[in-house]
Parts: sequence; C-alpha cells; structure tokens
Amino acid sequence: MDRIEHRQLEETLFYEKLPNGLQVYLLPKPGFNKTYATFTTRYGSIDNHFQPPGGEKIRVPDGIAHFLEHKMFEEKDGDVFSRFSNQGASANAFTSFDRTAYLFSSTGNVEKNVTTLIDFVQDPYFTDPSVEKEKGIIGQEIRMYDDNPDWRSYFGLIAAMFAEHPVKIDIAGTVESIAKIDKETLYTCYETFYHPSNMLLFVVGPIDPKSIMELVRKNQETKPFEAMGEIKRFFPEEPEGVDQAKMEIRLTVGIPKCLFGFKESRNEVGLQGEELVRRELATEVMLEAIFGEGSDLYQSLYDDGLIDDHFGYDYSLERGYGFSIVGGDTPDPETLVDRIRSALPKIQQEGIPTEVVDRIRKKKTGGYMRSLNSPEWIANQFTRYQFNGANLFQVVPLLESLSANEVNRRLQDHIDWDRFAVSIVRSQEAK
Amino acid sequence: MTEALHFESFEAGNARIHICSTEKFKTNLLMVMVQQSLSPETVTRHALLPSVLQRGTRTYPTTVGLKRKLDEMYGANLFGDVTKRGENHVMQLGLEVANERFLTGTSSLLEEGAAFLGEILTQPAIDGERFADGFIQSEKKNLKQKIESLMDDKIRYAAHRCVSEMCAGEPYALFNHGRLEDLDEIDSENLYTYYRELLRTRPLDLYFIGHLSRTEVESLVKRHFDVGSGNRTPVPSPLVQSEVKDVKRVVDRLDVNQGKLNMGYRTPVTYADDTYPALLMYNGILGGFPHSKLFVNVREKASLAYYAASRIESHKGILTVQSGIEIDNYQRAVDIIQEQFDLMAQGKFNETEWSQTRAMLINQLRERQDRAYDLIDAHYHGVISGRKRSLEQMVRELETVTRDDVTAIAQQVKLDTIYFLRDQKEEAAHGSN
Repeated sequence: MDRIEHRQLEETLFYEKLPNGLQVYLLPKPGFNKTYATFTTRYGSIDNHFQPPGGEKIRVPDGIAHFLEHKMFEEKDGDVFSRFSNQGASANAFTSFDRTAYLFSSTGNVEKNVTTLIDFVQDPYFTDPSVEKEKGIIGQEIRMYDDNPDWRSYFGLIAAMFAEHPVKIDIAGTVESIAKIDKETLYTCYETFYHPSNMLLFVVGPIDPKSIMELVRKNQETKPFEAMGEIKRFFPEEPEGVDQAKMEIRLTVGIPKCLFGFKESRNEVGLQGEELVRRELATEVMLEAIFGEGSDLYQSLYDDGLIDDHFGYDYSLERGYGFSIVGGDTPDPETLVDRIRSALPKIQQEGIPTEVVDRIRKKKTGGYMRSLNSPEWIANQFTRYQFNGANLFQVVPLLESLSANEVNRRLQDHIDWDRFAVSIVRSQEAK
Repeated sequence: MTEALHFESFEAGNARIHICSTEKFKTNLLMVMVQQSLSPETVTRHALLPSVLQRGTRTYPTTVGLKRKLDEMYGANLFGDVTKRGENHVMQLGLEVANERFLTGTSSLLEEGAAFLGEILTQPAIDGERFADGFIQSEKKNLKQKIESLMDDKIRYAAHRCVSEMCAGEPYALFNHGRLEDLDEIDSENLYTYYRELLRTRPLDLYFIGHLSRTEVESLVKRHFDVGSGNRTPVPSPLVQSEVKDVKRVVDRLDVNQGKLNMGYRTPVTYADDTYPALLMYNGILGGFPHSKLFVNVREKASLAYYAASRIESHKGILTVQSGIEIDNYQRAVDIIQEQFDLMAQGKFNETEWSQTRAMLINQLRERQDRAYDLIDAHYHGVISGRKRSLEQMVRELETVTRDDVTAIAQQVKLDTIYFLRDQKEEAAHGSN
C-alpha cells in the first residue's frame, strides 16, 4: 500500500493497485462521522460504439449505460437498497458522459457496507421481466427531465454544439431507445466495462486504511477475473465548428433560460494528466475573469436586469470533447447574447491583467478548500481526475503556478465565434 | 463512533451566540439568523432584505468592490436567503471563509470575515435614512424573477402549490420569496425602516463553527456585530392547524409531459412534541427511504414512477407526498399511495421495515455532523421550537419509540389535499390501464 502525503492540506491518501487491476484509494478523515465510498467504472453514456476484447464491434441503444446502472441494484434474492438499509447506509448511483458510479454513505458498519458495495456491483443479475419493468421507471425519469427547463437548455446547447459526438445524446436516452434494450445487451456491456481493471474504488471517512485495504484485497482474491485485453471505443469524426449556432425549445417557464458557450477546439480535447488540469484551470480562471461576480460585465448585466444570481459558468474538458457553458435565467435572451457578443472582443483585445488573475487564483484556492469539506466532492472529483491521468491534490500547486499568459492564451483560443452556440428555452406564447 | 459536536450558547448584547469549536473542517462558517413571523404584511420585505444587504456596505459601497473583496479573502462565500420554518420566516446571512492555517502567508481571514459579515448585517450602504435606490430597484427585479421562476422547476412548483392550497388562509401558504403584488409599494425608505426595526426587535442568533474559541468569538462579536442592547421579544408565530373536513382536490394544467401528484396530510405532531421521534419513524417507514412503502409499492412494484416519497415539515405538522407519474395513471397512483397510509394506520409494518428505518434515521442524523450548515440547521430547529434535543438525545428517543407510538400517530394522520399538475389535453380516460 502506498502512502501519499499532502502536507499543506493535512491529508494523507493510501493507494494500491490490486493484481486484477482494480485501483483502490483510501482517504482517512478523522473527526468525520460519515464514510462515503464510490465504486466507479469508466463507462458512460458516450460509450455506445465499442469492441469488447476478443469480441465483435457493436453499437448499443442510447441510454444503456444508465439503464445498466439501474439494473445493477437488483439481485437474485431481493434488492440491494434493502440490504444497505439494514446496515444503516444510504446507497445510490449516477451515470455521466464518461462514468458510472455506485456509492453508499454510512456512519457505521463500514466494512460490511464496503463489501456489499463491491459485491453487488460485481454480481449482475438481469431477467427479462425485470428489464421490462425498469422501462416504466426510467420512462418516468426521462419524462421528468423533459419537463425540466434547466436540463433541456443544457442538453439543447450541447446538441447545438456537437454534430456527431455522442456527448450530444441525453444520458438516459429516450423512451424509444430504451425500448430496444434487452437482457443480453446489458450483459455484453457489463462484461466489457465492469472488469476491475476498468474501475476505481474510493473510500473516504473515519476509516483505518490498513484494515479496509486488507478487506478489499481479500474480497477480490476470492473472485476469479480473467485478465482483460483492451476495450476499443469508437467515436465519430467531429467537425471543428458548432453544428447549429442557435437552438430554441418551447416549454412552459416563468422566466426564459439562456445558455451559451464555446465548443472546445480539436487541438485541446486530447490532453491528459497535468496538461489537462492546467488547461482546465486556465480556462476557468479566464471565464471567472469575464463572467464572475467580481467582473464589470457581470455587474452591468445584473444591474440592467438581464441576469440574476443564478447566472453562472461551467467548463468541461474530457478526452474527446470539451465546452464552456455560461448563462441562466433572463427575461430577454436576445439582448443578453448581443451584449456578450459586443463585450467579449473588447475584453480579448485588452487581455486579462495579472492582478485580476491573482485575485481569481485566491478565490479558486478558497473554493477548493471549501470543497474539501465534502467527501462526496472529493470522491467524485478524485475519480474523474484519476481517469484522466491526473491527481486532484495537484490543483492548488498548479493553480499557484498558473501564469497570466496561460490565462490570456485561453482567452484568445477558446473565445472563437465559429465555435459559439446559444440555447434558449421559453414559453410558447413568448416572442 | 466519532464524538458528537456541541454548541456553546450565551447572550451578547441582545443577541444569542452559538459556538461550535471543531478542527474537522477546512473552513470557518459564520451565520446570522433573524426570525420573523410569517405574514402577508412582511413576507416580501423579509424576502427582499438579504439580497439588498449583500449589495454594498459602508466600506464597500459598490457591489463590484464588495465582490472583489470577497475574492481577495480567498473566495469567501457570502450568501443570504429566507426560509419557512412552520409559521416563522427566517432570514439567513452567512459567510464561509477558508481556514487560514491551510494557506501560506495569510493570518487574518477569520477576523476579516467576521468584520465583513458584521458590516453586511449592521452597516449597509445607505443614503441618509434609506438604502441606495439603485440597489432596491435591481433587487426588486431580481426577486420578481425569483418568484416568477417558481413554476420552472415543476417538482418544486407542485410542492408549493399543494401546500398553498392545503393551507389557504394560514400563514404557511405564503411563498418564502414573497408576493409579486407587494413589490410596487416597497421602496428604499420603507425597506430601510423595516430593516432597522427587524434588527432591533426580532430574535437574532449568531453562529460560529470552526477552528475558533469562545474568547476569540466574544471579542469578534464585540468588535464587529453591533446588534444593540434593547429587548428582543419572541415573535408571535402561533402554529395554525386547521381541521380537515373534506379532502380538497386541485388540478392545475400546464404544458407538461409528466403529471405531478402531490398529496398533503395533517399530522398532530411538531418538533416541540414528545412524539416527534415517532413521527420521524412514521414518515421513514412510509416514504423517507428507498426501502419505504411508497418507493417499493409505487416505483418498484407498480413501475409507475421514478420518485415517490414523503416528507414532513417539522414545525407545521404536515406531511406531503410527492411523485411524478404518467398522467393516465393518476387514479392508480392515488389508490396505491392511500393504501400505504391505511396499512400504516392498521399497524402493518414489519420488523425489517422498522429496524431499517431506525438505522437509516440514526445514520442520517449522524451524517449531519459532517456538514457545518447541517449542524446549524439542526441546532436552530431547537432554538425556534423551544425544544432542544442533542444528537445523543434524539438517537436515544428514536431507540425507545414503540410500534404503538407510531400506530397512534398513523391513526391521526388525515388526508387534506390531493394536488395534481397535469397537461393541457382534454380529460383522458382515468384508470384505463
């Protein structure tokens, strides 16, 4: 077991890669009551075209990674929720573009709960009737999101930006696409992506790392996993520019939603490791300088009633795709976008001064420390960074070493109007 | 098991101070709570105030200047909001600031943070005896938008509509962000008068959580929180509980894909009662968790919904059920939900449901110890209800609740309102499948 000290933050991380390839990370949090564990596979909604090691190339229905996530909770003898409840743990799971995570949190029975978590994820059990029944439940989950204007504007923007890449497909799929899912395809996906060598276990809480590691080791030794070859994933060629400059959706809302942003250039979306984190941080600092609450632009839009305190920004950079998303509620989407279009060129021309970069660097450092209070955030972000070949605990030193030059380079490279798209959600009767 | 955290409380001036000293967080959290009665006369003013206070202070009269100062304080997070707690309307203002021991080259973040929050609360940017006009105008617009955007989140909208129909005529029916019709008459002068009066007379609680000591906090309060020395009297917020006569049925129509079924029930129990832990057990078995009756029967067995849950409002004594369903399944869902309440009233819950619920509730309570906001929230329940329960006490009480206690509550729970948010289409054939 390796031990990695992060002195400044007073955190110590324990790590081991088991013989079957599973990566295990343990972060003791003395003083905390709660233990939070995530067991994550590197398999998400975008992995819809792949070739299992030794198998044929296949294309699977949209929404299947998420469907599989739901079905994992069913077992031969009852369901896992009930077992976790007996052990005082609340369990859950989520599927994103690139990952599926299973998790629990509890203040007692930690060893039992860790075992339950690993065992249920490593023991699939699907039947035809239960797959059919799940279609009703997920159908309602999809309907729920259909009525959610924030979700619709978010996916509207991604769908406007991307022509081919499966990131544009809703994570849960559609009622039509999930109708095509069957037990056999679920098993194929499971066997391809749920091998320990494609997974990471993270446990954070008032734990004794030695005994937890021993427990995981023993648990894995009893299960025969054959060595696994490489999983091939196929992604279509994605054009550099956006697919559509504007997407509009009609839905009953009290206030229109307007999101806009820039699709990341092809040059950036292959980055990994430290390089990826640097690029991500530089972009976030750049966006904060332009759209953060401390910016002149934010305040003038706010004072003119074009934005409210829900206005925000977000940046994603992953292997294969990247984008920024800015916006929120606005009474007048067109005017808001016009103001952005006329303000940004001037900001690009003038550049972001060093003192602004310094101020935002401080802000982000404090925000990072706030996040470290949250075991959920740590587990989730740590896993994401690790899957991208990076380390969450590098963030502060990287932030400190970021230069104003790097930030300004992002200002020039990311803000490109050929890669700009807008998504609006408003009511039927609105103009 | 890690030891539970506790607050040390004392009076300073005419405010109450609560300190929780702990090293487990990487930040320090400072929070102010001001209690008001929930009433049509004050609800909108009270809702508007926290955003106006966050616009500027004597030292930082411009909002940009104020926000930049927050950035400089390592991204100190300033926030404000209003919440309903039974018939009370609570204003919260808070500041979370990084603990300086994890940062190199800074030593005064706590001091700076306290000074800053103290100024937000007691030294707002004013223009004579009024708030700055520009701030009022733009915050009124912001609040208007907040009220109008209630309908955007259909889950939240349906929950609010159900409760406001159910409690029509009671203060609790009011929306926590206020009423559009009040906005016109609010101006920079009358809001300032309201603010002065509020700060002078209403119960004010100051919370400090983090790596800090009582002496340190006492000195910070003395220097930065000039909250006066007059008398604060408890706010009149009597609990209003109406008798249920007939079940109200309300249908709203909007352009939606999914129907939202919300059902409101009256219970005779609030946080202040001895039987509150039994109510927690009742709600837990019924609909608080994935092993609960509602989740298992509406979702897992009948496959009708993605979510089906119940929750209680601790200071009002009401219990609500929320679920998102196919519109044609309305009657089936209502029947299944009602059946679960009937089973509860007949005492039909088994040993497994019982022990799972107790384990989950205790786990939930213990988990709240790991979030500074939750620690304050849990403590403030005690302040506002006049009934303090420590974590240990609550756990003990949950361990001694009996099945008869829960059945006794179940028999008094009464359905008041069935609310359904549905699409615009013509009446469909209910119960066709």
